[in-house]
Amino acid sequence: MSHSLLITHHYPVRTSLYVAVPLMMVLSIAQAVVMPRLRVLGMTPQLLLLATIAWSLLRGINEGMVWAFVAGLAMDLFSAAPLGITSLALLGGVLAIGLLQRAFPRSRFFLTAVLAALATLIYLLLYILLLLLFGYPVSGPAAASLPPLALLHGLLILPVYWLLSRIVE
Amino acid sequence: MARIRWATFALLAGVALLLAILDSVGNVDAAFAFLRNPLAAVLDWTAARTDALAAALAGPRDLQAARQQIEQLQTQIDALERENEELREIQGDYQQLLDLFNRAREEPAFRRLTASVIGRDTSPVFRSIIIDRGSEDGVLVGMPVESARGLVGQVYRTTAHAAQVLLITDNISSVPARLGTSRATGIVRGGGLGGSLVMEWISLESQIAPGEVVLTSGLGGKFPQDLVIGRVAEVERQEAELFQQAVVQPAVEFESLEVVFVITDFRAVDTTIFDQPPGE
Repeated sequence: MSHSLLITHHYPVRTSLYVAVPLMMVLSIAQAVVMPRLRVLGMTPQLLLLATIAWSLLRGINEGMVWAFVAGLAMDLFSAAPLGITSLALLGGVLAIGLLQRAFPRSRFFLTAVLAALATLIYLLLYILLLLLFGYPVSGPAAASLPPLALLHGLLILPVYWLLSRIVE
Repeated sequence: MARIRWATFALLAGVALLLAILDSVGNVDAAFAFLRNPLAAVLDWTAARTDALAAALAGPRDLQAARQQIEQLQTQIDALERENEELREIQGDYQQLLDLFNRAREEPAFRRLTASVIGRDTSPVFRSIIIDRGSEDGVLVGMPVESARGLVGQVYRTTAHAAQVLLITDNISSVPARLGTSRATGIVRGGGLGGSLVMEWISLESQIAPGEVVLTSGLGGKFPQDLVIGRVAEVERQEAELFQQAVVQPAVEFESLEVVFVITDFRAVDTTIFDQPPGE
């Protein structure tokens, strides 16, 4: 393996970590303090999930996985959920993006919105399954109230994606 | 399209799983306190700025709205002046009650600690709040938390200067309760996001009606007696079942909570009588 190949494999992920850690800490504070006041259609958008999905779409699944891990830990710091559960569910969501990207036709905005909605659905499904696995009951009405969040994320991903793409450029 | 690095995925998923297991069976709170403590301070600072900004934005947006408000306030002043006259007559009775209250306060049933709500759970499933009092203020895991309107929840996790309070509406919350009029007992469980508060395990023999007040029973010793939880909104009674249940409308507006009281000490219901087998 050549040296340049090593750099392309390891440097971006490390750089991604330097960006992800402070950004996710700031976003987790915003999620805990500001977002409950800014409910959209009765739902609270998940900023860290949106940022992770957008980064995965912009920079690829491998960087997205690092963001998912960091975002999950940052979310769990202000949550009653066991530490690490959200990271696991987010990793599943990002992995789904990587696999679904190959199945969908290339269409920038449509694909971004659909993938964000699907990744949110998969994340929520995994999150609930993991909570049940770890002995935390989730009532039927509570689980049923979550899927609309996927549709909301399908819409909200567009400004987040645009914003992050400006930063990346 | 980039190749998925499965080794990275496995490593990150493995670490996350390990943390989840350690947090569930053991305690990694101490290890992560170095992160939670400074972040709680930032959270407190941010919440204060957000409150100020929200208050400024919620004020009158234009002069027209302000004029309308003045007219409404003038009407209210007229009504309040009439009410004031009536209240003067009640003042005499109040003085007598105040004497009684002061006597009761000399030996309070609870000790409370006032705390401000500085954040909410980041998870889409859990229902908890973060308050600005922690272990260094005397807050311990398991302490009940109430607001001026009723029971809020229970302390779930603490850091040095902040604590996480699991709301009674959360899926994993259960509170021993009794009804005010019929005296029937049961357990009030949270339904999580979108779910109702439900009082379960109520005997079929009990005649319960919508509007009855739901209070803490104090059984189990985790909550004091007679804290208001809410009111019965609907009774679900099926003769085929062994118990009936009631949908409870919480007394507390959880979305607008700003100040809460942590009950740091209370007289628990004495259940030691049940520790001894009958006949001894």
